[in-house]
Amino acid sequence: MVKRKLLALMTVATIVILSLVGCSSSGGSNSSSSKDTAKNTQGEGTETSEGVTEVEFSYPMNTDKTLTYWGTLNQNVSPNFSNLGETPFAKAWMEQTGVQIEFQHPPAGQDQEQFSLLLADGNLPDMMEYPWMNYPGGPEKAISDNAIIPLNDVFEQYCPNLMAYLKANPDIDKMIKTDEGHYYVFPFIRGDQVLCNTIGLMVREDWLKDLNLEVPTTIDEWHTVLTRFKEEKGATSPFSYEYTMGVLTEENPFTYAFNTSKNFYLNSDGTIHFGAVEPGYKDFLATFAQWYKEGLIDQDLATLALDQVSAKMTNGSAGASIGWAGSRMGVWINAAQATDPNYMLVAAPYPTLNKGDKPEMGQIENRYPNQGGVAITTSCDDVEIAARLLDYDYSEAGHMLFNFGIEGESYTMVDGYPTYTSQVLNNPDGWPLAQSLSAYIRGNYNGPFVQDKRYLEQYYMIASQKVSNQIWGATNAAAHKIPPISPNSEESQEISFIMNEINTYRDEMTLKFIFGDESLDKFDDYVSTIESMGLDRALEIQNASLARYKSR
Amino acid sequence: MKPKGLLYRIKKDMRKNYSLYLLVLPVFIFYLLFKYKPMYGAIIAFKRYTPTLGIEGSPWVGLENFIRFFNSVYFKRLLKNTLLLSVYSLIFGFPAPIILALLLNEVRNNKFKKLTQTVTYLPHFISLIVVTGMIVNFTMTTGVINDIIVFFGGERSPLLQNPHLYRTIYIISDIWQEVGWGSIIYLAALSGVDSQLYEAAMTDGAGKFKQLIYVTLPSIMPTIIVMLILKIGSLMSIGYEKTILLYNPSTYETADIISSYVYRIGLLEQNWSYSTAIGLFNSVINLILLTITNKLSKRLSETSLW
Repeated sequence: MVKRKLLALMTVATIVILSLVGCSSSGGSNSSSSKDTAKNTQGEGTETSEGVTEVEFSYPMNTDKTLTYWGTLNQNVSPNFSNLGETPFAKAWMEQTGVQIEFQHPPAGQDQEQFSLLLADGNLPDMMEYPWMNYPGGPEKAISDNAIIPLNDVFEQYCPNLMAYLKANPDIDKMIKTDEGHYYVFPFIRGDQVLCNTIGLMVREDWLKDLNLEVPTTIDEWHTVLTRFKEEKGATSPFSYEYTMGVLTEENPFTYAFNTSKNFYLNSDGTIHFGAVEPGYKDFLATFAQWYKEGLIDQDLATLALDQVSAKMTNGSAGASIGWAGSRMGVWINAAQATDPNYMLVAAPYPTLNKGDKPEMGQIENRYPNQGGVAITTSCDDVEIAARLLDYDYSEAGHMLFNFGIEGESYTMVDGYPTYTSQVLNNPDGWPLAQSLSAYIRGNYNGPFVQDKRYLEQYYMIASQKVSNQIWGATNAAAHKIPPISPNSEESQEISFIMNEINTYRDEMTLKFIFGDESLDKFDDYVSTIESMGLDRALEIQNASLARYKSR
Repeated sequence: MKPKGLLYRIKKDMRKNYSLYLLVLPVFIFYLLFKYKPMYGAIIAFKRYTPTLGIEGSPWVGLENFIRFFNSVYFKRLLKNTLLLSVYSLIFGFPAPIILALLLNEVRNNKFKKLTQTVTYLPHFISLIVVTGMIVNFTMTTGVINDIIVFFGGERSPLLQNPHLYRTIYIISDIWQEVGWGSIIYLAALSGVDSQLYEAAMTDGAGKFKQLIYVTLPSIMPTIIVMLILKIGSLMSIGYEKTILLYNPSTYETADIISSYVYRIGLLEQNWSYSTAIGLFNSVINLILLTITNKLSKRLSETSLW
């Protein structure tokens, strides 16, 4: 009870302060909060008492406040630093903005639990980094639940850098709002479409050369390649991938080849469809069941995790896989070349049914991928400082810091191109590239900033990595990607119940069909079972959300 | 017994043995804080819980969450899987440590006995994550178990993808991990058996096996009964940890149990109220089973928990 009263009080206080600040900057009244603001801005001293609007704001801010910042510690940071605050990146961030930040991290893998616990407690850190669209009931609910504050006024007053970016990119502006028009995070934005194509097929290039084969582009060619890998290269499981990794199973290029998806997707008719009940999905299952029977797909498919797939991909048991260019392709090439210098992987395009067709579907992320976004909570007393701190990340200087780190230390400008130094690229302590980069930048994962593609151009060091994005991106996938919609709070629980039942059943039956435990003659029964679980209602909710999104 | 008299006696006893009460205080507080206080939170099973509204502030929804679970397509399957896995675990898992203890009891070579004991209870200390990792690797088509099957003329197959084998794998690995640890309590009970009883039995002409049936087993029967009641008490509360590490969609048919379902719904989807309702339902069944067993054992063997 006491806690809730306190929370309410603080909310009221925040609103009062906000409105006061709002008054002072427009009307120029001489309230105490405007003095605070003036002190923080530390502008041209004397004239400031008259009106804050006149003052040119500049970093670093002059404040002795310490703000709390909650978020997961990225797995590329955690091996070397127990707190983000210890990294050269965070130290530079604090120095350049003048704000002290106390970072709080949940134990690895417990972020969701800890997030729930924090909310239940009500005493929140000032800033929280979380995939806010996953908040039960959506971000609008997070605002109405009094967990985070709507940022429209805050953006307007304190965030010229972010506002400038949003004005120049109206499509992104639309993505980061709720249906009701509220801003709720300082978003993570992929600065270029290239950065959105991250997952695809990869295949042993050296084997293809040995066998005089081209990189496969159709389902039939894939069948030939995998068969010959098995027969002539002794691969016991020619195609192997981490089935237990949800996103890789979801983005299976062979499902996309039949112009369908395992999950919801945007059909050419402009509405959202559920791919797993469509005829294309049956054809995909038939293909995979056939391949599984012929031993072309790893027989242990359902239990495969990273360590097993890595072993198979590097020891010649498998010749093709699905994954990321950095954390899979690059790692495997480096590991395998230690024993086999000829080893090479190459990205294969999204397969099609007919040779020469452009793939209609494929993996693609939204440029606002719902990760790394930072919200200001209702517990934050210094909204302006928090907002200015986060807005800095979208300025030119902040952009360079987040993507390239510290000039002279982690990068140097070579002909106007920020180039990572050899200290980062070849870490003296032998850290892998991803880890040594993560000490200086956040560009290789996420956070409240705009990601720069020049980071990626240097992060991918091997030739076949460098071209992977173009190869995987040559699809019409963007037309089928559902934008970041969110169901409203009443609908969200309903759809999560329905989809939980449907997804469990779909996952179970998909494997049974592939393993041949269930005949594909039963596909119609499978479809009608899913429909009886409430698929129509789920689609109705999805399409209503989409309609609301479009009318934002 | 009159309550007033009882209170008076407790007071008197407290004054006399205050140091003993002091000793038990931390445990008492522990139970109060960590076992009884959280029970209050169970009322969210009847609410639509929102963290920021708090337990009190969330709206009541009556039995909605329970009805939803009973109407779920998976209700029957979850109940069946949970019960079957528990019952099988009980049938195969419960006697295993007793048998091991009896066997060890007959071993005369002390060194060998100690070594066997140590070796059998070591797996208990291996983290579950590691154990399941081993199981997954051993049961793969290229794994050790398949090598053995092939050696005896069988065919390789992915064992963990076969729903019919799932429970066998689960229970055998459970026995492997816990049999040594579980046998400790029986070994302790066995060491307390009066050796005169054996001598008397021997003079009566009882062989080793007869001694086992007529002396050893009856002597440790009270221990066995208490352990059985305790085991039945936790029959329905199989944790989700091992299940979520071992199952995959192709074995949901036999592997998905109430607790793993609660994990998926509650922790991953953040439907706190719904998962609490399921958990509460689970506990109620558990309590009923425990009471029945206790009654039965009271009548049959005069040993009981209360």
